[in-house]
This record gives sequence, C-alpha cells and structure tokens, in this order.
Amino acid sequence: MQEATFLILTALAAGAQHGYGIIAEVQQISGDRVRLRAGTLYTALDRLRADGLIGVDREEVVEGRLRRYYRLTPDGTGRLAAEAARLQANAAAALTRLKPLGVVT
Amino acid sequence: MTGPSQLERRYRRVLACYPKAFRRESEDEIVAVLLATAHEGQRRAGLAESSDLVMGALRAHFGLSRAPRPVCNAVRLMCAGAVLELAVLVTVLVTLGTVRSVIIQYFTAAQWHTALLTQIVPVAATAPILAGLWLWLAWANGQGYDWARLASMSFFGLLTLELLIGLGGGAAVYAPADLIALTVPWLFGAAALALIFSKTASPYYQQQPVPTAGTCPS
Repeated sequence: MQEATFLILTALAAGAQHGYGIIAEVQQISGDRVRLRAGTLYTALDRLRADGLIGVDREEVVEGRLRRYYRLTPDGTGRLAAEAARLQANAAAALTRLKPLGVVT
Repeated sequence: MTGPSQLERRYRRVLACYPKAFRRESEDEIVAVLLATAHEGQRRAGLAESSDLVMGALRAHFGLSRAPRPVCNAVRLMCAGAVLELAVLVTVLVTLGTVRSVIIQYFTAAQWHTALLTQIVPVAATAPILAGLWLWLAWANGQGYDWARLASMSFFGLLTLELLIGLGGGAAVYAPADLIALTVPWLFGAAALALIFSKTASPYYQQQPVPTAGTCPS
C-alpha cells in the first residue's frame, strides 16, 4: 500500500471526512511531511472507492459548494488494520536489530 | 472580476481536461478543495498544482484510478508500446543521415532511393499510426469497453504478422535492432492480452458505465 493511501485511510479511521478535511488530517498525521494535492487526492479517492475500501458517507452544500464526506467501509477498516500491523511488525523488527548498535534506545 | 471567482474559472479550465463523467461527479468538489487550499490573494493555478491535475486527468482517461490492477498494468504496457513506437520513429529520423551516407558509399543513388521508399519511409509512416493505436487501445481498455479486448486481439494479430514478416525477411540475421523493435512490442502485446483476459479483469468489461456517486450502505 502506498503511503498516501495509508494516510488517507488513517485519516478516515477517525470518522467521515470531506476532501479538504482529509488533506488537513493527512498533513497533521504525517507531521507536515505529506501535503496531498487535489489531483492526487481525488485519484486516490476514486481508486479507493473502486476497490470498495471507502464509500460516500453523505453530501452537504456549504456556502453554495458541494461537500462530500467519505468514510471507511468494513473492507477498508480491515485493510488498514492489516497494513498497520504489517508496518508495526516491520518497525519492531528494525528496532530490535538497531538496538545493539546503540542508535535507538 | 477578481479574487476567488477568477481563480475558480482558471481551476475549472484546468479541470476541463478530465473525462466528462469524472467532472460531472467530482468537479465542484475538487474546485471547493482547490479554493480551500489556495493561498491568500492567489489568482492562478500554480505549475505544480496544474501538473498534478493534468496527471490526475490522464490517469482518469486511461482508467488507472478505477480499473482492476491487471487492466491498469495492461494499460501501462500499451502506453509503453506507444512510447516504443515513437522511439523507433525518432531513431529512424535521427539516423537517417548516417544510413544515407553508408548506403551511398557502397551503392548508387538510385539504390538509396529504393531503400528509402521501401524500407525507411514505411517504418517512419507506420510508427506514429501504431503509437496512436496503442494509445487508443490503452484508453479503451482503461475505460472497460468490451470491444477493446477484441480490438486488442486484432492489433496483436497485426503485431504477430509484422514480426513474422520481419523474421521471414531475415531480420534476425542482418538486422538485430529491427528484430528487437519488432519483438519487444509483440511481447508487450502478448503480456497485455494475458492481463486483459485474466479472471480478475473480465468482470470490469461487463460492468460499465463508470460508477456514480451515492452514499454507501451502512
């Protein structure tokens, strides 16, 4: 799973979000390292919807503009959990091997 | 008019390169996000922003944001096939002078003209057509048109015929570069066909048109 996809799913794990909300969440989760652009975001959202990992939660019109909220589907939650566990296992293995070198505490 | 409305018009102009169905579904939403992320006083779309949108539009046109993975990989192979054909064209044009001077050295001017008309011109003329066909098939497969698979099969037949004619003409012996230029697209075509006829890809060709927005069931 690409990092942007992982971060988008993570952003949605806390609840339904609209496009701008996802961008802001991803920026915050990644410590300001990942700033999604609109084109990248909507390509990713389109792909995630096609794969059944997210769905449209609701639509609102705010100040005359459409605001579509997305949320994780059960499949999306499962995929995110599996990916998070995989990353955690990899990180734990790396930290275990780095410990004797004294570069991590 | 100044401010957001001018910026919005410019954003919409860039978004016009997206497929119609995608725009109908997401344009207003994307514009809202673009305007929300715009800097204070911004009047036009930035270069990076525009490139990102154009890349997104290309991905949408070729179905890369919706098609199943095997179809996406087949589309990428077809685009690579188009690039390869254009590379052949560029090579022919760039090396034309060298080829001419070598032929003129050993043969007559009349023989050079014959070689030009029978060997070089046909390759230079068909390369852009083949590149166009590769791209057209990539687009049609990416959109999931059922006829695209049949068209791809016919195109592969054409590539096979071209390869057999090349082999029959002795390309393997006297022109290894020519053989590579025939074999690599053929391999791309074979791999793409295997992908679009795979079990995972088949349902995509039977479930058009593109899904529309709607709230998902709880």
